[in-house]
Amino acid sequence: MVNVIFIIVIGLGAAFLLGLLREKWRNTAYALTLGSLLAMAWIAARWLLFFAVDGGATFEIFTAGTAPPFAINLRMGITESVLLLLVILSGLLSAIYMSKSLYRLGGRAMSVLLVFIMALCGIILTRDIFNLFVFFELAVIATAGLLLISENKQALSAGFKYLIISQLVSVFLLIGIIFTYHVSGTLNIDGIAGLSLDMMKGIGSLAFFFMLMAILTEAKPFPANGWALDIYESAHPAFSALFSAAMAGSAAVYAVDKLLLIGGQQWLPVVTAIGLLSFVAANLLALSQTHDRRTLGYSSVGQVGLILAIIGQRDILGDSYLFIAGGILISHAVAKAGLYWISGLINQRHLTDWAVLRGHPLLILAFVSFIAMLSGLPPFPSFYAKWELVMILASENRLWILAFVLIGSLLEASYLFRWFGYIIKRERVQEEESESPLLSLASHKLLVIFSALAISWGLAYLWGELSAHDNLFYALPLLFALSFLLLEWLPAWVKNTLAIAGMVYYFVMSYSLYDPLQIIFAAIFLLGGAVILLASYHVHGRRMGFYPSAMLMFAGLTLLVVAEDSFQFFAAWEFLTIGSYFMILRGKHSEPHALSYIIFSLGGAFLILAGFALAAQGVTLFTLESLAHVAAPIAPWVFLLLAIGFMTKTAAIGLHIWLPGAHAEAETDVSPMVSGILLKAGLFGIMMLLMNMGKQQLYGIELTFIMLWIGALSAFLGNLMAVFQEDAKRLLAYSSIGQMGYALFGLALMNQLGWLMALMFVINHYIYKSMLFLSVGGVAKRTGTREMYKMGGLIAMMPFSFIAVLIGIIAVSGVPPLSGFGGRWVFYNAILSSEYRLPMMLIFISGPIAFLYLFRLIHTIFLGQLKDEHRQIKEAPFWIILPQMIYVAALMVFAVVPGLVLRKVDAYLSPFFAETAAKSGLNWEGLTITSNYGYWSPIPIMVIIAIIFGLLFVWLLFVNRKAQKVKQFNIVYSAERPFRPETTHFAWNFFAPYRKAMGFLIQPFVTRFWETLTDFLHTVADLFRRFYTGNGQTYAIQLLAFVVIVYLFRVEF
Amino acid sequence: MQFEWIQIPYALLTLFIIINFGLLMNAFVAKIGARVGRRVGIPIYQNYIDLIKNYGLRSSITHGVMFYLAPVFRLTGGVGLIMFVPTIYGSVMFSNFSFAGDLILALYFIFFGTLGMALGAGESGHPHAAIGVSRGLSQVTMAELPLALAVFSIALQYNTLSVTEIVAAQQGGVLNWTLFTNPLAVAAAMLSFLGSVMRPPFDVVLAPQEIPIGPPTEYHSSYLALMQTNRVIYPVAKMVIFMNLFFGGADNWPVFFLKIFLIYMFAVFIGVVFPRFRVEQSIRWFLIWAVPIGILAVLVV
Repeated sequence: MVNVIFIIVIGLGAAFLLGLLREKWRNTAYALTLGSLLAMAWIAARWLLFFAVDGGATFEIFTAGTAPPFAINLRMGITESVLLLLVILSGLLSAIYMSKSLYRLGGRAMSVLLVFIMALCGIILTRDIFNLFVFFELAVIATAGLLLISENKQALSAGFKYLIISQLVSVFLLIGIIFTYHVSGTLNIDGIAGLSLDMMKGIGSLAFFFMLMAILTEAKPFPANGWALDIYESAHPAFSALFSAAMAGSAAVYAVDKLLLIGGQQWLPVVTAIGLLSFVAANLLALSQTHDRRTLGYSSVGQVGLILAIIGQRDILGDSYLFIAGGILISHAVAKAGLYWISGLINQRHLTDWAVLRGHPLLILAFVSFIAMLSGLPPFPSFYAKWELVMILASENRLWILAFVLIGSLLEASYLFRWFGYIIKRERVQEEESESPLLSLASHKLLVIFSALAISWGLAYLWGELSAHDNLFYALPLLFALSFLLLEWLPAWVKNTLAIAGMVYYFVMSYSLYDPLQIIFAAIFLLGGAVILLASYHVHGRRMGFYPSAMLMFAGLTLLVVAEDSFQFFAAWEFLTIGSYFMILRGKHSEPHALSYIIFSLGGAFLILAGFALAAQGVTLFTLESLAHVAAPIAPWVFLLLAIGFMTKTAAIGLHIWLPGAHAEAETDVSPMVSGILLKAGLFGIMMLLMNMGKQQLYGIELTFIMLWIGALSAFLGNLMAVFQEDAKRLLAYSSIGQMGYALFGLALMNQLGWLMALMFVINHYIYKSMLFLSVGGVAKRTGTREMYKMGGLIAMMPFSFIAVLIGIIAVSGVPPLSGFGGRWVFYNAILSSEYRLPMMLIFISGPIAFLYLFRLIHTIFLGQLKDEHRQIKEAPFWIILPQMIYVAALMVFAVVPGLVLRKVDAYLSPFFAETAAKSGLNWEGLTITSNYGYWSPIPIMVIIAIIFGLLFVWLLFVNRKAQKVKQFNIVYSAERPFRPETTHFAWNFFAPYRKAMGFLIQPFVTRFWETLTDFLHTVADLFRRFYTGNGQTYAIQLLAFVVIVYLFRVEF
Repeated sequence: MQFEWIQIPYALLTLFIIINFGLLMNAFVAKIGARVGRRVGIPIYQNYIDLIKNYGLRSSITHGVMFYLAPVFRLTGGVGLIMFVPTIYGSVMFSNFSFAGDLILALYFIFFGTLGMALGAGESGHPHAAIGVSRGLSQVTMAELPLALAVFSIALQYNTLSVTEIVAAQQGGVLNWTLFTNPLAVAAAMLSFLGSVMRPPFDVVLAPQEIPIGPPTEYHSSYLALMQTNRVIYPVAKMVIFMNLFFGGADNWPVFFLKIFLIYMFAVFIGVVFPRFRVEQSIRWFLIWAVPIGILAVLVV
């Protein structure tokens, strides 16, 4: 094993040597730089292997061969080796990345870079505080030098401001060191830490405070970090990458970690508070940023803050400390470096300018992977780390910290995903319009970025292996989904066939493993998904990005059904959320809606996470069944958190504002997937929750009762809002809110029939909503609009779409003989056995309201007057019609023999509601289905209606056999024969009188609430942003003020 | 109860009786209205003549498939409704096909004809038809609510959804009728009834002067004949439900005729006294007057 000291020696030696080389020998100099970095990396890697694989022991080095305090002590352990490798590798990659600049500036610049890396390695290795100071000074000076690489003129002033701050830092650090030495007589960290705590009282404590403040400042805590943001903004992106990943994210935080050994437990809360404040505030301020590198700077500050907070929590993290802190730290380092490197390809600095990345799928994949890493999404290390962190925080009852971590994460995800939306959706500035190229793709830069991408996925695998939970990479559905990333070059129809085959095959293979409830959901997710995918055949070309996202969503759904413990469940939940977000974002105008979807979804997911954490109380493998055993004081809170999380997905009223836009703006075949299928995930979650936790009371209020009201309100208001939509897909989307309200209501009834009703809604809603979205999508495709009043009279042109909508609306409205009636019938029976009465009223009224929007849907599109521009229109494409016809058949079958599907579920549910009634289920014997209250025979109903209808129809045919279809305007209206379809088609604002009577109920209070909230956050962000004036003196005063305030808050010395 | 072939002629007999009763009753009510206005009014057989005339007419015009099917939907709705509820209590002969489903089936089947009708009217492309549908649907959402609440209330009261069982529970004296055992529910339901018989003050849907008869405006000849037949059957069918649920049912035809007539006269009386509401006014009226009674009925039962 090579001695660790060689890392320092090589770095320093090469740096000196570079100074001796001739100016002209650029190639040699550059080779020497890369060579020495490689050598350093190799040493670090060897040590890492030694520790990780061979289980080697920590290695101590004493310079000058004596023990401290007379010599300097360096230490190499597993943490150090990881950090060293990280620092050196990012140095190496950055050196490759900025090869041009380094060539331009020559050997001296390279030597400064080497010194910088060497200094950071020193900071990580040393166990001596004065030595720490020296290495920090070296890093500072090197930073100032490296800043000059940038061609941006602001970099100069940023470097100068940094020097001002560094002076203060040095002063603090030196004062601290002097007094510490005075008190303890040693400069060795472990030596000081080993001394009794009494020594560090009084002046010793003050000395420590100074040192801590100095080192913390290097980690750029909010608000004493204006100078750092200026650096991030103006430096060369490759240096910003280093500065963020290696300097702040690795070396500085590790120095804090080491220093805290001296201060002991009592200083941990200080670090936690500073870290959390930075995390939340930086992410909040980032909301109002438009400059890409500055945004990344804020994100950096936030991430480092999070790591500091974790360091502050190490008293409770125990063995998981390295796993958690490491997961966040490494994710941050790789992702942030990667993002800075990408920013170097783009020549303009507004966030929206990143739209030039579009058309470069690999770069987009890299961007997505990096922001997923930063947001803590699976399968990346930060996901595992955050999961562990939250679990431990909850079990130790540090709920405030937990809350701040989640709020900060949500803020961070918000602006990162907003940015992603810009990339995918914003207008690209045309190349011709600008003078310089917008995107410079140099191969060495791409190499660097793609190595970061590879490393990020490698780390994801590694962290999965290290985690106490399943490695997500071993989940077959996920691998299937990810494999589509490699198949992107295939034409869409091949991928579509593969996807359908895979989903059907998986269902057939795992069919026997499911219980009846799971079968229903699995069938909807997998088979149902496959049917909708038939419609995707209508898209030609390669359809980049669609299949990985769709399959990711379906993988999440599939894993959700079979999830056994909270970790699997949550990971599946995140997968389906991300996958569906990507799919929604594909719609033409869906950028803001997709963003609102992902923010609500992640918010909901964090609540679920918190709920699980609270429930688990530190148990590593928390099975979903154990939710039943959660004890009284926390149980209702767990219930509340999980329920709200799931209700975000079902778009319960209050949390629904993301749904209409997201579903309406999605592509033709995506809308049915996210509406017909994805919404069921929320219901599945609620079922899982209710089945395990049952009724819970909070402050004496039955929570299921509140849920009942929410369900009823959603049904009522969802339907009411649907009535007033002009946009057909929005109408269907609002109707989904109503339908999910029904299902939620059924579940919250907490009796067997209520659940049966909910399941009927699950099945029915999947069938008819998918069908309707497809028909309407097909119509919109042909007419080029979704505004219903612009259509009309399409029945003759698009008869199949009409039939689908006709059957669909009969089913939705619950009119016999189709399957919707079954749902209504079970509903009446269910409420009769329930103890609640008032919320039912809202459901009663929502039923007829559904007629309003359903009639409007079919009338304004297919009936009435045909528009001139639609006279030549064709039926929707075959592949969009085909699934609709399958659905028509399915609806008929389900209407006639509902028992085929529901019988087993009914029997399966019985034990769960055993105590409520002796026989609360249905009797399925013979043709008639009977309950305790009434009866229902689907087949006779169908037969009787068919016979009456048939007889009358035949008779009418007989008497009116000569009837011919007359021309369009063969009517008399207002004493004249009309001739303009636009003025004859009664369609716009169809229910004007209804709006007069009931319109007051749909004031957008909820939308206003959320808008006010986001406006408020943005305003706050904008207000505090001004705090950073760009003036070095101001920054220095801010730093002083920060130190004083921390001092005042921390009075007991 | 199961299906037997003999039920088919029985059901046809019920239908025959009800059609005749409906024709006569409508004419009689028109006559009463005329007499109130000191006019002579139509002869009592006028509706027969109208109907036969319309059935005799042939048309060579249609506006499309849905236009063609709408009268079929409409009449299927009316006939089906009769078929799904027992007419005479205790009579096997006149209990029709009520084995197929309970009260909920009947209540939801009401919409079958309405929906078909609305679709056909829509295809005619006549704005008056669409305006009529818009008004009708708007009004029905609120007008049906008190009825739904009343039904919920009496289902809770009798603990069943079977029409036959509800009638059975009301036997043994007038005081056993729901009218006396659950007056709130009956009040709510009767107010709701006003909204569904197309008489003033809730007849803005048809609005003869304004949007000439609304949805059916384009219908003529035998199309119209089917609708007229439904116009005869449908209110009776609906009143059968009311009679069974609230007024003790009927165990023979004379009682049946009397009760149905009286229920209908309730709407007629109100109709001749009050002027017409606009749609939003009628919605508010139901919301303010009828719905609270319905809620009370549900809460106190």
